Amino acid sequence: MQFDAIVVGSGITGGWAAKELTEAGLKVLMIERGRPIVHGEYETEMKDPWDMPFRGLGDAALFAREYPVQMLNRHFTEYTQGHFVNDLENPYATAPGTAFNWLRSYQLGGRSLTWGRQSYRWSDYDFGANKRDGHGTDWPIRYADLAPWYDKVEEFIGVSGAAEGLPQLPDGRFQPPMALNAVEQHVRRTLAEKFGRCLTIGRTANLTVAKPDEGRSACQNRSICARGCSFGAYFSTQSSTLPAAQATGNLTVVTDAVVEALDFDPRTRRVTGVRYVNTANGTRASATARLVFLNAGAFNSVHLLLNSRCEAAPHGLANSSGVLGTQIMDHASTLSAIALFPQFSARTSFGNRPTGVVVARYRNMDTMDGAGHTRGFSFQGGAVQANWGAGKREAGIGTDLKDRLRHPGMWRMVLVGFADCIPRDSNRLDLDPVRTDRFGIPQLRIQFAFGKEEEAALAQAKADAAEMLGAAGGTVIMGMDRPGTGGMAIHEMGGARMGHDPKTSVLNKWSQAHDIPNLFVTDGAQMASSACQNPSLTYMALTARACDAAVRMLREGAI
Amino acid sequence: MQGDRKAEPRGWQRRDFLGAAALVALALGVPAAAVSLTRLDPADAPTDRQRALLREVAQLVIPRTATPGAGDVGAGDFAIVALAHGLEGARRPFTPSDPADARFLRNDGSIRHVAWLEKTLDTAAGGDFLARPVAERHALLSALDAAAFASRAAQSPWRPVKALILAGYYTSEPGGAQELRYEPVPGRFDPDLPLTPDFRAISNDWTAVDFG
Repeated sequence: MQFDAIVVGSGITGGWAAKELTEAGLKVLMIERGRPIVHGEYETEMKDPWDMPFRGLGDAALFAREYPVQMLNRHFTEYTQGHFVNDLENPYATAPGTAFNWLRSYQLGGRSLTWGRQSYRWSDYDFGANKRDGHGTDWPIRYADLAPWYDKVEEFIGVSGAAEGLPQLPDGRFQPPMALNAVEQHVRRTLAEKFGRCLTIGRTANLTVAKPDEGRSACQNRSICARGCSFGAYFSTQSSTLPAAQATGNLTVVTDAVVEALDFDPRTRRVTGVRYVNTANGTRASATARLVFLNAGAFNSVHLLLNSRCEAAPHGLANSSGVLGTQIMDHASTLSAIALFPQFSARTSFGNRPTGVVVARYRNMDTMDGAGHTRGFSFQGGAVQANWGAGKREAGIGTDLKDRLRHPGMWRMVLVGFADCIPRDSNRLDLDPVRTDRFGIPQLRIQFAFGKEEEAALAQAKADAAEMLGAAGGTVIMGMDRPGTGGMAIHEMGGARMGHDPKTSVLNKWSQAHDIPNLFVTDGAQMASSACQNPSLTYMALTARACDAAVRMLREGAI
Repeated sequence: MQGDRKAEPRGWQRRDFLGAAALVALALGVPAAAVSLTRLDPADAPTDRQRALLREVAQLVIPRTATPGAGDVGAGDFAIVALAHGLEGARRPFTPSDPADARFLRNDGSIRHVAWLEKTLDTAAGGDFLARPVAERHALLSALDAAAFASRAAQSPWRPVKALILAGYYTSEPGGAQELRYEPVPGRFDPDLPLTPDFRAISNDWTAVDFG
């Protein structure tokens, strides 16, 4: 099979690469390791809990045996288990002393089907972070380089949100925001008046205004997104980029095919294509192209480069620097505070809003006021009102209990801190020297730990969260300051970082391998720092920008 | 399943319990053939009396009012299956605060909640719990419940049983859509409404179930 471009992966960035490259007129092969999933044919989406064998809660014994990592995702349920990998069938290794939960979705659409949809721009506090405090290597781009691409992505995927004029969380091309509930409105006012901080509704890739030309309806406020949404109301590959790419007539999709290596021609110093394994029968095949985009997900794209080692590149492709696999990151996160707000017991809400709120970063911006850390943290969370689930934690039986659970109960507000993760050489990926998967491909090995900076940030986040919720009249009942296990933010990134210098980075400012001009890596692997915002919107913007550059270079004969 | 035939429980045919499919079918009203589940030890199959006990206990937790009770809708059977399958942490190793409860432990260290509950309630009743008048059954279970929630430190096998009775009830159609409101497609979000006495909670607000 000969193509203009091969896109490895069909998730959030793979879909974007396929869309941009096919719309530019290239014949594109998109290879996905998982099964096909057709938009509108989500198996459990419309099922009522009483039609599910375990009422939607799932077979915990099965989960413990076959999904011990994936089950830790809060969106993992009986409804959504088909949208996550089976851990037994998809092993990975960890270095001694490392605990890392790698949460994955191997299917057409990848994690675009299960993502949290939070869509935030990064600012120059983020792109300038490495240069400012000396951790990691400097980004070769700044906000201005990416701003028009953020515009393009937001307008296409549909991001609802409120413009706030914050330099640390730049406004975008938003659809109308979803609404804050009564408690959140109150806390927003308190934070603004007493702290000068901003609580705003989550900027989420759920439509508040339909996009009928693209067959997408406005959000129905079901908040069951990870089952798949036939309304097309949240951005996924299936709802958005895939139909756009298919409409060009230039896209070929192959599913159930795991790419095991890139082919590299040492004479031309170009990649010539990919080799892949049919996961149904284990047979091997290959495809060739003028361009290769890696969008397999940060760790899997690095894995692929490492596993593409050859005589001409014995330590992995695009790794003349030797830094491939290093400085991986994930946000350090923890439940910073929970507070009760009984004073709002006369208020309630209706509908299941599919987003929470965010408290924008406020530390270490123009004043370095972090206690023991140099970067940022922000909070996500929201106020929810108890329903029948609260009955599990309370004494009482009989009609009193039944009557109590009949009505919405106590309001509680949750703030989850997300802290910047310092890029460190000691946090890295390599190939396990012994263990392989069922196709004989070496397993990826993860070495990862948070350090004192993340711990300091989350300690300050806990204190700040308690102070803020307390100032708003909440009764804080608990809070934590230790980072959760790595991977739990599901923002794993880095390993093939972008940088100015080919000696200290893998990719240039166009997400293009320094060593191999026709190879682009545009998923989370390219990240040189983590910021404290959710990264997917930035991955998409970088992908669209890289596609534009690649097509331009191709047309100019530069690659 | 490689079960020991001598261990076959009374009242519930071992073959019926393979994979718990029949029990799930019974509890949930779905075709057994459609259910592919973790296979369970036949020793976890309940006796007829245990099923009757869990039905009654469920009904005491959520009684029939203008809407059905939890026993009426099969929440007892659901709890039996769910406990065996480890929902609400029911298959985690358990350290009994009462040494006498050690006899209910499985080889994996988890406790057989149903057998424990049967013995505990019968002991509290000074005989057959199910034969006591309803007011006394209510009082006995209420005392067990109060003790289980009196201390955060002590782990009581009652908590997961109660949790799964509630889950079984509020995810059933009568519990979820008659007693509470079931709104699979709300279509809108009203952020701030007065909470009036006739406002019933939404059973499928899953964020509230998890965090509320």
